[in-house]
Amino acid sequence: MQEKDLIKNLKDLKQIKPNQDWAFWLKSNILQTEPNNLYNKPRVKLAVFSFIPKYQKVFIPSLMAFFFVFSFTFAQTTLPGNVLYPIKTLTQNAKIHFASENTKPVVRLEVAKTRMEDLGKIQNHQKEISAITQNVRKDLEIVTQEIKKIDKKQVALNVSKDIQERSKNLKDLADGIPLDDKDREELNKSVEDSQSQVLALIIQTTDEINQCPSYLKDMLTDLGKYFNDVQEGLYQWSSDDIIKSRDLFIEANDAFKAEDCLTAIDKIESINILMSIYSLDVQVETSTPESLN
Amino acid sequence: MDKKEFSEFYNKNIDKVFRFIYLRVDTTETAQDLTSLAFLKLWKRQGSEISNSTAFLYRIARNQIIDFYRSKRKKPLSLDKVGEIADFQVTQPTFSEKIELTLEMERIKKVIQNIKPVYADVIIWHYVDDLSSKEIAQILKKREGNVRVIIHRALQALKEQLEV
Repeated sequence: MQEKDLIKNLKDLKQIKPNQDWAFWLKSNILQTEPNNLYNKPRVKLAVFSFIPKYQKVFIPSLMAFFFVFSFTFAQTTLPGNVLYPIKTLTQNAKIHFASENTKPVVRLEVAKTRMEDLGKIQNHQKEISAITQNVRKDLEIVTQEIKKIDKKQVALNVSKDIQERSKNLKDLADGIPLDDKDREELNKSVEDSQSQVLALIIQTTDEINQCPSYLKDMLTDLGKYFNDVQEGLYQWSSDDIIKSRDLFIEANDAFKAEDCLTAIDKIESINILMSIYSLDVQVETSTPESLN
Repeated sequence: MDKKEFSEFYNKNIDKVFRFIYLRVDTTETAQDLTSLAFLKLWKRQGSEISNSTAFLYRIARNQIIDFYRSKRKKPLSLDKVGEIADFQVTQPTFSEKIELTLEMERIKKVIQNIKPVYADVIIWHYVDDLSSKEIAQILKKREGNVRVIIHRALQALKEQLEV
């Protein structure tokens, strides 16, 4: 095919035209639509934050956890009057709540001291100072009550001595708090009462422990007589329990000889439990007049 | 470009743009869809600065064809899709009236579709739609001299294909 013929054939393609009804329909439809007066360019977003939608499920809880931990940590450095101080108070109360029975008095005293230190660092928050001082006074009263709840006398004595040691600077801390005369007087009274009560507890518990040998000696004598007198009565006992009770008796004697009064009491108490199982009429009284254990 | 100007521009170019697209795709329906999108995009760009509306329209049409072959895998766009893009309800009447082509025209159309796309474009623009080398250079954003070379090579390629 000659180039001339080819161009002529190409020119013939001009006959191709769209359906005129369609062309009209299209134009009228396009003109009905609203044109964009300004071409909307895509909004530029900072690439550094583009991961946020993708990791939203992880990112938001992580951010909240971080914020929570940060607030909690930061709150520990705050003073009364700060908006985060209630979080600090909450943490301190939680520490007291979850402390074991034997350590609770010490933890409570330390919290009271921390609060007193905080109060000594602030000015012009009289309302908060007054409210927190009341709480400190209550804590100091509760400390002695909590020492009394400790079962073991030796442990109670040790805790009391620890409290006494830690309470030495309470008066100084109280003096550092900007209080009015009435509140200061009340706080000083609470401090003194608390220290006096702890001292009283130490003396009382020490006495009880020191009185132990004379009572213990009587108990061991009674128990020895009992085992000798009621040999026939032990027929109800299992051989294991007979051996066990005799071993406990020997151990109690040894502890007494070693001046370990509390261990001896422990052993006798165990024998008493065995005896109560077999419902014997006679039980040896193991408690001292002041309830040694 | 207001409604009146667009209307005049549309009347002047609808045949050319439709023909250009029709010669590059298989069916009348596809050509209608792509032509619709090309004019609609031009209308939507109203307000932005367009130095040469004809060249711009051809560029849109050319890109529509490229997109059609690339992403639609030669499947024609549905009219629903066109309506969705255009923001108007398509109550499309039947416009599938078949375009009658002579055997020779049909043969040339098939050959045009078999040569390099850029050759097919310049053949249609230059020999069918009578666009000058300068106008084609504006569409392709090339120098006029380069366009003349492309037109020459395109015609040779078409001849070779027809002789096969």
